[in-house]
Amino acid sequence: MSEILQSTSDIPFEDSILEAGAPLESILCTEELQLRHSRPPDYEKENRALVALMGALADSPSTIFQTLAETILGVTQCDSAGLSLLTVDGKSPDACGKRFYWPAIAGMWNPHVGGGTPRNFGPCGDVLDQNRTLLFRHFERRYPYLLPVIPAAEECLLVPFHVGGKAVGTIWGITHSDRRKFDAEDDRVMASLGKFASSAYQAVVYIDDLKFQVAERQKAEAEVRELARGLEARVRRLFEANVVGIAMWNLEGAITAANDAFLHMVQYVREDIASGRVRWTDLTPAEWHRRDERAIADLKASGIFQPFEKEYFRKDGSRVPVLLGGALFELGGNEGVAFALDLTEQKRAQAELAHVNRVMTMGQLTASISHEVMQPIAAGITNARAALRCLGSQPPDVEEVRRALGRIVNEGNRATDVIDRIRSLIKKAPPRKDDLNINEAILEVIALTHGEVGKHGVSVQTRLTEGLPPIQADRVQLQQVIINLIMNAIEAMSGVGKGPRALLISSGQEAMGGVLVSVQDSGPGLDVEDLDCLFDAFYTTKSAGMGMGLSICRSIIEAHQGRIWASRNVGTGATFQFTLPAANGPDA
Amino acid sequence: MLSMPDLIRAGSKSWGSRAGGASGRLRFETLKTGMNQLPYNEGPGGRVSKCDARVIAVVDDDDGFRDALQLFLRTFGFQVEAFASGKEFLRSSRLEAVGCVILDLAMPEMNGLEVQQRLAARGLQIPVVFVTAQRDDYLGQCASATGALAVLRKPADDVELVRLVREALGGQ
Repeated sequence: MSEILQSTSDIPFEDSILEAGAPLESILCTEELQLRHSRPPDYEKENRALVALMGALADSPSTIFQTLAETILGVTQCDSAGLSLLTVDGKSPDACGKRFYWPAIAGMWNPHVGGGTPRNFGPCGDVLDQNRTLLFRHFERRYPYLLPVIPAAEECLLVPFHVGGKAVGTIWGITHSDRRKFDAEDDRVMASLGKFASSAYQAVVYIDDLKFQVAERQKAEAEVRELARGLEARVRRLFEANVVGIAMWNLEGAITAANDAFLHMVQYVREDIASGRVRWTDLTPAEWHRRDERAIADLKASGIFQPFEKEYFRKDGSRVPVLLGGALFELGGNEGVAFALDLTEQKRAQAELAHVNRVMTMGQLTASISHEVMQPIAAGITNARAALRCLGSQPPDVEEVRRALGRIVNEGNRATDVIDRIRSLIKKAPPRKDDLNINEAILEVIALTHGEVGKHGVSVQTRLTEGLPPIQADRVQLQQVIINLIMNAIEAMSGVGKGPRALLISSGQEAMGGVLVSVQDSGPGLDVEDLDCLFDAFYTTKSAGMGMGLSICRSIIEAHQGRIWASRNVGTGATFQFTLPAANGPDA
Repeated sequence: MLSMPDLIRAGSKSWGSRAGGASGRLRFETLKTGMNQLPYNEGPGGRVSKCDARVIAVVDDDDGFRDALQLFLRTFGFQVEAFASGKEFLRSSRLEAVGCVILDLAMPEMNGLEVQQRLAARGLQIPVVFVTAQRDDYLGQCASATGALAVLRKPADDVELVRLVREALGGQ
């Protein structure tokens, strides 16, 4: 039967034990302790016991409770002795627990180690309630759940013990026959041992806690080591996979390590890096230094820099376009890592696409183009006819002929210029950057789109600000952007039945000192939620069209370190605007 | 299709505006005249009388063509005045003396059609010859329907142009 109580889970709770037997007073006989004949104190034995306990505590703290139980048994000469500790989980001591458990028992009840009693309905609970030593006789008469715990207890002396002013358990001795009765001396010895139990308890808790902490720390350290090993392997894998170019660097300009992908991009070899000859400051063409400085400012402020497009010099002096992002290893530090993606292919594809777009656009502009070419030719022919007439008159008017011939030359040159301009827009040429006047570029485009504008009954107004700073740009690409914006506007407005079709093209200075160009139409406006997605490739609101025009505009403007965006007009229509940094501006 | 008043209104505001929605190709009258048919070697008799006081106005925003046409017409003894825009022409104090106007169709601010309408609105019945560098032009279609003498494509056929001018002056 006793096995039932071996497990704490079998200990009944007070709400299930309502059939209480005898009242508490009937099983208590504490006052008898003072009446009984008391044996003389044996301090020597007691001291030896305490010294032994201290030794045990020092040598093997985990056994201290069992040693304590055996000491009580020895000193009081009872039949069973042990400890009850409050617990929540049935294992570790806890003053707030709802159950007592028996961590150590010496003597006849030793097999019941691990058993226990409820906090609020049992002898230990009574002791804590009254906070004093109590002597019980046949407590199973009130607490019938103790009946199976054999052999039955004749008397039980229970002493509370405290830890930090809080009662957390009891120590106790039991006699199973009337061979020996507890007396006042037992009470005193038990109280004395109770104080020891308190220290022992604290020591054990402390040691357990320490052990736990040590174990936790060791576990954490092992985990960190494991993680570091795993991370290192992963970083190495990333580095050596060569999916992107990776370089380690410091803010002074040195490149301390680079993977093959990075080396391949800039066409250096590992030895070049090892020698310290390769510096990212030297790899960067002069016009990108300012952009680099911005990235470094970001690094110092936030520890990272967002990816941006730039160029590096290859070893042979040619340039490679890259997308570069990176981070410092630690904020405020000097060293970091950069990830570089070779954009050569993308740039090539972009250029290809831009060229296709230009050719297609010029195809749409044939009416305008023929007009532009025809004007000087017509003027030339008419001059030639006038010259022939002058030669044929009597006498020939040689002076007038000379003037006419001079004009023919001029008109021929004018026709050549027009054709050159058109050819430059159609031919495939590597981008080049020149200082150029934005207004001139705009006016040339307006001349080209003249016919297209007229065909659709659109009125064009210009509001060009004089004295704008020159910009560093590829004329053809920039004009392509303006043509695309104008053609888009014309197309948007051609759907408008009645109402004015007005196009306003203006230039001005933006806050940062660069130039701002805006193309404003009176079309139906933009019927999309996200205005930014207009610039995504293959995004189109037209039934015919590839959705490439605006995406090409954006890549061109961004390659010029500018910005392009769309907005809805207050009235009707839409406005597309872009900015470009001034040639000598802060962002150039 | 826009109505004429719409076209004029759209054009009046703008830089180089034209009417929209061309629905067909304009058939220009072109005379395939060779150069050798021109009276280049004619004597003084080929010229119009110096005493003809009426003026031919050339209105074209294209400097090169305007100057060339002015010179060309003068070789026939015509009195020619050139104007760079419709506005300039309409402001001229000698409008009464103009016997024929050669009007470019595609001009900024005010196109040729509108110039013609303004003239008509003032009760000036000046014969008009339109010229245009466009090859596929809705404005040209409209112009040919306005009672103009002709709509000529640049470079204007010289024989035809001279014939038209003479007709205009002789008819007055």
